[in-house]
Amino acid sequence: MADRLLFSKTGRARYISHLDLMRTFQRAFARAKIPIKHTEGFHPHPFVSIALPLSVGYSSECEILEFGLLEGTDPETVPARLTAAMPEGITVHQCYPAQRKLKELSYVNYIMNFEYPEGRPQECEPAIAQLLGRESLVVEKKSNKSKKGYTEVDLIPLIREWNVECQSDTMTLSMVVSAQNPGLNPELIRAAFCREYPQFAPQFVTFHRREVLDAEGNLFR
Amino acid sequence: MNRTLEQILPKVQKPARYTGGEYNAVVKDRGEVDLRYALCFPDTYEIGMSNLGCRILYGVMNREKGVWCERCYAPWGDMEEEMRREGLLLYGLESGDPISDFDIIGFSLGYEMAYTNVLNMLDLAGLPLRSEERPQLTPLVVAGGTCCYNPEPLAPFVDFFVLGEGEEVTLEYIELYRQAREECWTKEEFLQEAAKIPGIYVPSFYEPVYGADGTLEELAIVEGSGAPEKVTKRVVEDMDRSYFPVKTIIPSTEIVHDRVMLELFRGCIRGCRFCQAGYVYRPVRNRNPKLLAEYGKAACEDSGYQEMTLSSLSSTDYPCLLELCDELLDYCAPRDIGLSLPSLRADTFSMNLMERLQRVRKGGLTFAPEAGTQRLRDAINKNLREEDLLQSVRTAFAGGWSGVKLYFMLGLPTETDEDVLGIADLARKVYFAWRECTPNKARGVRITVSTSWFVPKPHTAFQWEAQIPVEEYQRRVNLLRDALKRDKSITYNWHDPETSYLEAIFSRGDRRLADVLEWAWEHGAKMDSWTEYFDFQRWMDALEACGLDGDFYAHRERGRDEVFPWCRIDPMVSTDFLWRERELCYQSQTTPDCRTRCSGCGANRLLSGGVCNG
Repeated sequence: MADRLLFSKTGRARYISHLDLMRTFQRAFARAKIPIKHTEGFHPHPFVSIALPLSVGYSSECEILEFGLLEGTDPETVPARLTAAMPEGITVHQCYPAQRKLKELSYVNYIMNFEYPEGRPQECEPAIAQLLGRESLVVEKKSNKSKKGYTEVDLIPLIREWNVECQSDTMTLSMVVSAQNPGLNPELIRAAFCREYPQFAPQFVTFHRREVLDAEGNLFR
Repeated sequence: MNRTLEQILPKVQKPARYTGGEYNAVVKDRGEVDLRYALCFPDTYEIGMSNLGCRILYGVMNREKGVWCERCYAPWGDMEEEMRREGLLLYGLESGDPISDFDIIGFSLGYEMAYTNVLNMLDLAGLPLRSEERPQLTPLVVAGGTCCYNPEPLAPFVDFFVLGEGEEVTLEYIELYRQAREECWTKEEFLQEAAKIPGIYVPSFYEPVYGADGTLEELAIVEGSGAPEKVTKRVVEDMDRSYFPVKTIIPSTEIVHDRVMLELFRGCIRGCRFCQAGYVYRPVRNRNPKLLAEYGKAACEDSGYQEMTLSSLSSTDYPCLLELCDELLDYCAPRDIGLSLPSLRADTFSMNLMERLQRVRKGGLTFAPEAGTQRLRDAINKNLREEDLLQSVRTAFAGGWSGVKLYFMLGLPTETDEDVLGIADLARKVYFAWRECTPNKARGVRITVSTSWFVPKPHTAFQWEAQIPVEEYQRRVNLLRDALKRDKSITYNWHDPETSYLEAIFSRGDRRLADVLEWAWEHGAKMDSWTEYFDFQRWMDALEACGLDGDFYAHRERGRDEVFPWCRIDPMVSTDFLWRERELCYQSQTTPDCRTRCSGCGANRLLSGGVCNG
């Protein structure tokens, strides 16, 4: 089976897109002199694959990249060497052989921070509780496949659990949501909240991916 | 990261352009630097990051103790809108600090259509546009790059211009600035001293005086300024001792030229009479091939790039090309690193080389015969024989290439309809060469003919020439289009004339055009090299509002003794030589290249031995 990296993507690196990040890794492996497997075919190139594409602007401390380490490199040395060859904001934490299949990655824990620099309205906490406590919450989602350009999706079944904590100028929502087939992009929650409760719309929302979990809710690696 | 920026970035396209933080970006401790320099490129990140000159200057400055040079590019419209709405000033990518707080703001000027971006970037930085409205020493606004060979249209906005290569002179004026700041000089006092540094042109020390017919009578030296009669361009004499950016910024997002760039030499031996680069970058100075091979390998190692390109004005003229390519190939081939060689001449030697380099990908080939007949090619001194071109494409087609692009100019001096139709003939001959040589007729062939509208440039043999009128350009385009109508394998593209007309105005324009630039900018002009933003009518309105006639600059032939707006700028290629070249053009006489015979242009005076190594 393949090898995996666990890495985080924070700060300025949040704005590197998925495709650009793959190219950045390919080059970083070369810079760090870590030989990796190449794809086969007419134009062989270093093979890297990132498990769940992260939206541009989101931070994460649990990204997983698959690749194939060629013999002769001690996996222990990979995180430090690779981090040194990375742009600011990307830190590689672990390098290990894959033990389980990526499709077992079932849930993601996102932290959404709703920012109210001028003070948080008291009522936004019951509002989000009410929104997420509904039987169903059907929203329109962009889709390239559908003729209409969007499809309808119910968010509630995709949320496994949630928890909200408030401070004077922020509301922090931690959610465990479905990771894939279909996954839930927490942006849809933000949009639904702002649409249903425009009076509580925050000035800004940050998104952070804190953990990836398997079907039982245990850490996925 | 700045909070405002953090909130803006999710709303704009390609936000990675605006964050900095790339591999090898230089971040210094604010407490340990005394000189902050904003190296500004008046176009997008993708274009600016591809500029080798800027990478060199970035490295040259940042290896100095106490100097922190940061990058700054023109934001795309969506980003600009957000910045203006949120009151976020233009900032250096490395620190995020507003460039208005920097000591020196330097612009790289490579293209006339980027001038409005210079104004827009100054405005986005929160600075007054005109030099006289910035009475303090700090920040200084300076500019370098090829466009500075006629800096006059930007003269009122820029404190001083730097002529020629910047590696040495940049550090000289930084030192002078430090002294000025230490000793509390006024800006005027600083500029007077700066004007004594060779290569520095302080426009406020020269006052244009116009005659009744609108031409320049003189560019008078302001009394007491001590400014020199002529400002001579700077060159780096010894390329082997000059800085090469081995360790350079690797962008985290795609840019235009995203590969290792290996600069073989500066200057060009050819002397094409229309080519400004060919004249102003003289004399030819080569880099040692051993050194180049080392640089190339080290740059690949440090960057992780899988592609390397050799760069120069005419790579085939590099005397040690084969030796260098062999050494690089030994390194690149086993590592799957692609080696490409643009700016090749269409001769057999080059084609053999191409075949050796590009074993895998056989995309398109590009040649620039520039003119359709031998007579006109001789007149412009483009020493390319038809037979050489055809032999090259034969080799290429036989080797499996199936696409050729051919570039030409319309409106070159002495051009006749016969020359225009000659382009169609040449394209057809290329087509027949394909039929004769291709191993695979079923695959078809793509031959693309592109024509641009000739723009006469300062410091060339054609600096006196008129650009042909637009109606005449259009007629010649139609003539060629009709001639190529029936050739299904030949595609004909032509440049829209509007941009070329403005280029012709600004490239030989005088200081009065500064008002036109400012008017156009005030009325929304920016990013004029992008069709999304370019508005020709706005420029016509700007000229009219300022009482100026574009045709006066673009379409008027100048007399031998006309005083040019660039008369104080000396690239060390003599005007007598350029005039001689122009006369030879009218006799369709060629001038041999610098290696075959020195034609006495004068550029050798820039070298301490007085002899070019061309």
